[in-house]
Amino acid sequence: MVLFYLLEKEFKQFFRDPGLPKMAIAFPVLMMLVFPFAVSMEIRNINLVVVDSNRSTASSELIRTCTSSGYFNLVDVCDDPRRAMQLMDRNQADAILTISSDFDRLLERGEELPVGIKVNTINGTKGSIGAGYLTSCIRRFQAAQVPASQTMTATDGRMELSAKYYFNEYLDYKKFMVPALIVIAITMLTGFFPALNIVSEKERGTIEQINVTPVNRGIFILCKLIPYWLVAFFVLSACLLIAWLVFDYACAGSLALVYLFTACNILVTAGMGLLISNYSDNAQQAMFVTWFFMMVFMLVSGIFTPIASMPDWAKAITYFNPMRYYADAMRSIYIKGSTLADVWTDALGLLAIGTTMVTWAVLSYKKTT
Amino acid sequence: MNEAKDVIVVHELTKKFGNFTAVDHISFQVRQGEIFGFLGANGAGKTTAMKILCGLSLPTSGGGTVNGFDLCREQEKIKRNIGYMSQKFSLYADLKVWENIRLFGGIYGLSSKAIREKSEAMLRYLDMTDLRNELVGDLPLGWKQKLAFSIALIHEPAIVFLDEPTGGVDPETRRLFWELIYETAERGTTIFVTTHYMDEAEYCDRVSIMVDGVIADLDTPAALKERHQAADMDAVFRKLAYQAKRE
Repeated sequence: MVLFYLLEKEFKQFFRDPGLPKMAIAFPVLMMLVFPFAVSMEIRNINLVVVDSNRSTASSELIRTCTSSGYFNLVDVCDDPRRAMQLMDRNQADAILTISSDFDRLLERGEELPVGIKVNTINGTKGSIGAGYLTSCIRRFQAAQVPASQTMTATDGRMELSAKYYFNEYLDYKKFMVPALIVIAITMLTGFFPALNIVSEKERGTIEQINVTPVNRGIFILCKLIPYWLVAFFVLSACLLIAWLVFDYACAGSLALVYLFTACNILVTAGMGLLISNYSDNAQQAMFVTWFFMMVFMLVSGIFTPIASMPDWAKAITYFNPMRYYADAMRSIYIKGSTLADVWTDALGLLAIGTTMVTWAVLSYKKTT
Repeated sequence: MNEAKDVIVVHELTKKFGNFTAVDHISFQVRQGEIFGFLGANGAGKTTAMKILCGLSLPTSGGGTVNGFDLCREQEKIKRNIGYMSQKFSLYADLKVWENIRLFGGIYGLSSKAIREKSEAMLRYLDMTDLRNELVGDLPLGWKQKLAFSIALIHEPAIVFLDEPTGGVDPETRRLFWELIYETAERGTTIFVTTHYMDEAEYCDRVSIMVDGVIADLDTPAALKERHQAADMDAVFRKLAYQAKRE
């Protein structure tokens, strides 16, 4: 019965708060409609400068092949390599394609093509991917130049590779990020808010009034968590719905499993939030500590960078990161359609961290000091 | 007066924070239905002592009972039998008047029917019936304090602890507040009150004055004035508080 009165209080306070209900609405909308585009790591709009010393039909055909790929912005076509270099120095060019003066002649004779590629690799990923795109454009151009009769001889004795992409056929980065963004949204929401809520009761002194009553501390804490759990499930549902309506992405696996993992993750973040609030005396402290952990969690979660390519010591850290397990499970279920049999280790990881956090949190919350 | 039983019995109560002894072996009794004034300069240790009596803090050594329950082992039972109102206003400002009454009624395990009846009676008694739907945060301080006091009494506790209940309140509201205290004491509730207003100390049945963690003196206001040859409680307090060695 006490539970009922305390819950009633929490819900009234939540809906009366000037910001919280709006945030619960704005969060999924932002997460699904803005961030999938913003966090895209697809490399596009590479600024290309061409040094064309040949100025032939063939060379302009090559330039057209590159620009029509959609990855390049043609900044300039010039004759002087020094001018192209200047553009790169001024950060106006990401890649320079150099076409030699005897390009068309060599092409006709079918000899090796002297094409130069210079790439700005301040952003290494962008640089190397840009170089890759350019190379494949040149190959495509070459293949188109070789007459059909010669193709046979040209491919003689070579390997024919064919790649087939699974689970995300069109290599759509947004599809990769949607489940991860849900992970971030849920973790932030259920980690920050209960912690701030409890600390604000400390600041206002109302927690003392509660501590002097015979209320059970477990029930008091539970009543702080339940509203945010419901909000988290609301946000999850809204995110899934928006992803489906706007991007036509559907969860490949079981939705029940998505909710189950979200529940496991809530256990972790709730425990963490409570733990932080127990050791914080004011909102700034709680905010800063939570923010610090969220930052670390996100960066070593595998959400933005693959864990497999981290050094061993960094990999070891990820095992203590609940977000790693949640993100992995969510991506596997959502994109690949994994079942519990595939991702049970993630569930185990979340449950282990979650139980530790909650136990610690309940033990460290004392009504009597 | 001697017939009444002691509801608070404290023996050699001590609380240390590291090397600092906030409360230093204090012993006293409070009788049922008494208005017990608990005085002391800032930092004398009265809030610490009060927190121990409310079950918010554990004594380092010594002990005692509140309404028959042990201070060291039965804090949760003590909490069932006491009301508490702090100097820091502590009702929920973002809840309405009736919602605050309902919440604390619910926390103390009152039935919803009892809560309804209590709320009606309380609002009528405080003359706040028209304000029932106001957010508590919008009320003037005097009203808030009266409401907080009444809510501290909602479960009819044996003892109510008031920690500087009239801090920052105007003289007229202060007088009205003390009328509430008298009426409550007449119904048999023990009042344990801290204050910095010496005129309020005169209203108490007995007064203890804490200096440097110990009780410097404890008696009725009349006896204290006679013993220290002072005209009023203000003079008594000055005489005793000037003995303080620590800041």
